[in-house]
Amino acid sequence: MTFPISRIEGHAQVVLEVQQGTVVEARFQAVEFRGFSYLVQGAPAEQMPVIAPRICGICSTAHHLASVKALEDAYGVTPPAVAQRIRELLMLGQIIQNQATSMFIFTFPDRLGLSSIFEEPEHVQRQSSEVAARALRVRKAGTDLIALAGGQFIHPVKAVVGGVISGIAPEAADEMRVQIHDVLPTACELFDYYWATSIAMSDRLGTWGDDAPACYLAAVEDVRPNYVGSTLRIMCPDGTIGDVFPASVYRDYLSMEETEYSYAERSRYRHGIVRANSLARINMARRMGTPRADAYLDRFREAFGRPAHAIMLFDLARGIELVYALERATEILSQPLDREDPSLPYTPRDGDGYGLVEAPRGPLIHHYRILDGRILQAEFIIPTAHNVLAIERALRVAAERYIDSDRIDMELEHAVGRVVRAFDPCIACATH
Amino acid sequence: MAEGKAEGRLPRFAVLQLSGCSGCEVSLLNAGQWIEEYRLVYMPLVLSAYDVPEVDVLLISGGVRTDEDLYNLRRAAVRADQVVPVGTCAISGGVASLGDRDEVREIFLAQEGRRHVPHLLPRCRPVDAVVEVDRYLPGCPPTPQLYIDLLFGQPDLHRGRFVCLECGRKKLRDMRPQHLLGFQQGETIPGICLINQGYACVGTSTRNGCGAPCPRAGHPCVGCRGPSDTFIDKESTAWLASIQRVFAGLTDIPPDEVEAALRSPQMSLFLFQFSDYATPQRPPRPKGKVL
Repeated sequence: MTFPISRIEGHAQVVLEVQQGTVVEARFQAVEFRGFSYLVQGAPAEQMPVIAPRICGICSTAHHLASVKALEDAYGVTPPAVAQRIRELLMLGQIIQNQATSMFIFTFPDRLGLSSIFEEPEHVQRQSSEVAARALRVRKAGTDLIALAGGQFIHPVKAVVGGVISGIAPEAADEMRVQIHDVLPTACELFDYYWATSIAMSDRLGTWGDDAPACYLAAVEDVRPNYVGSTLRIMCPDGTIGDVFPASVYRDYLSMEETEYSYAERSRYRHGIVRANSLARINMARRMGTPRADAYLDRFREAFGRPAHAIMLFDLARGIELVYALERATEILSQPLDREDPSLPYTPRDGDGYGLVEAPRGPLIHHYRILDGRILQAEFIIPTAHNVLAIERALRVAAERYIDSDRIDMELEHAVGRVVRAFDPCIACATH
Repeated sequence: MAEGKAEGRLPRFAVLQLSGCSGCEVSLLNAGQWIEEYRLVYMPLVLSAYDVPEVDVLLISGGVRTDEDLYNLRRAAVRADQVVPVGTCAISGGVASLGDRDEVREIFLAQEGRRHVPHLLPRCRPVDAVVEVDRYLPGCPPTPQLYIDLLFGQPDLHRGRFVCLECGRKKLRDMRPQHLLGFQQGETIPGICLINQGYACVGTSTRNGCGAPCPRAGHPCVGCRGPSDTFIDKESTAWLASIQRVFAGLTDIPPDEVEAALRSPQMSLFLFQFSDYATPQRPPRPKGKVL
């Protein structure tokens, strides 16, 4: 059985192989090919922050920063504090935009019984078009923040090797802060509604998406996560922290493999399944560090424990991050962002560089090998690749629930969509 | 444009994504006005529908990279009153067409070995090499405002002039760099043309309408909207020559230095137009159709 998947980024489908009522295999197939690791060969290394964002229009900010950080690693330059704050704003914008899109545009329809929040049966039109208008307003706070900090909201340009091109003037920062402040209650209302409809859905289905516990992977701290990325950490299925390692030695922990059935790679952590994305970060978080987000985190912990493993909790975890990102952005925007030099001089040199950010879907690594100022080899370690095996296992568990030897429950198709969307895979990235 | 309105119904539109990055779709989401004025019937990114129905307007993003792209495009185009490729990938190859460079094509196409996925075509092709096109909306991505102009503007509205008009930086005759800086390096002087500051900005010949977000932010224009009306139906040599004249007027940078930067496939001029200028029979792209 083949299921094309909509309401995710890019072209993917799920294939279930069923024999006499038993699910033999579940495959998650990425059916497009982008080829950036090949086509950037020979490119001037310093042009990568312009080229790499084009891997993905949804994750372009994450690629832009990972690219700049890889070059800084190769050239041995550390950006000044003000540039780091502005880069954090960029990533917060990325998180706001992505989580609002994933929750309100990709997965809300599953909870409201619609095919889209934009196109729906007449009787609910009013209710859902109000969701649509509010969702777009929340999302726009994220894209406007990226535009302010990055120059343009898709394929930004303002992060450069050594820092950022310019600071943010107090008036512009204030205006942005007011906009976010105004939109925060709307985001919380939508999240509350989303949470309530998620509970209703899980009651109807009798599950939050049961699957065996897994390891988690993220590159953020356990208080006040900074999505610009630090070291990679593994949380074991029992909640203890396992391996902690820098991006440059990722191969010692994560093995990447190709398959014949998909253009996306998939990774393993020490031969096992690992999960990245929102639930990994929320499981690792001790506190979010901002009031409203912490209140949601408490509520989440009370209901689901720590670590939480059910599949559809990825969706709720996104809401906590959305609220946190809005709150954290207003904190940074209250600090001076134009009083110091936003960038440091640097000297390009050949060698290897690793750039790590915590993208919405998990740790993203760019690795460049530079010779004569040009890209000799480029590797893009994509967060979605870490989740491929986890998606396939969860699909199998979900399919088994709805398939037996004499019948297939028509809920199956919806279940397949819900599982895949919980992981919010990005196919343009995964097939870079 | 909105013919359906005469019949008392909202015009229907669809968005078909070929091989691309979804950036064009994401930008469209920020032009939210269409929610009230159009009925969206197909756009897999935000809507579960598995086939393109009959529509008034079909927007197409991404390049024709796989056999599946080719099939989906042909099938959808005949069901649309108006076919509009959006974004540079659909129009002139975009960044992804750098895979068509001779030196990487082989390793690129070696990926073909996988058996259970759509096959790659020998080259990434623009939409108008496959189907007839009514209008074009270039940009990487087109800004939300350009989408609004496309969906709601007057049919004859188009922007074919150049980016400097929207950039606002002043061109000076007496600030003449001796060499090209190459890549964006840190802070730039506000209000002064980036060419005067030594950057290989190609805004002087790149189509405007984007609002010049890059040069305004201090990053040289990389030419994502393609050639302005003056150059759109000419060979790339005309474009190169014009930029050379600009640099001769504003700088003392040796012409061969400028030439080398402009001809690099990964730098400005060809970063977004490579497949266009590398294809022997480029389809004519009448400037009146390009927004």
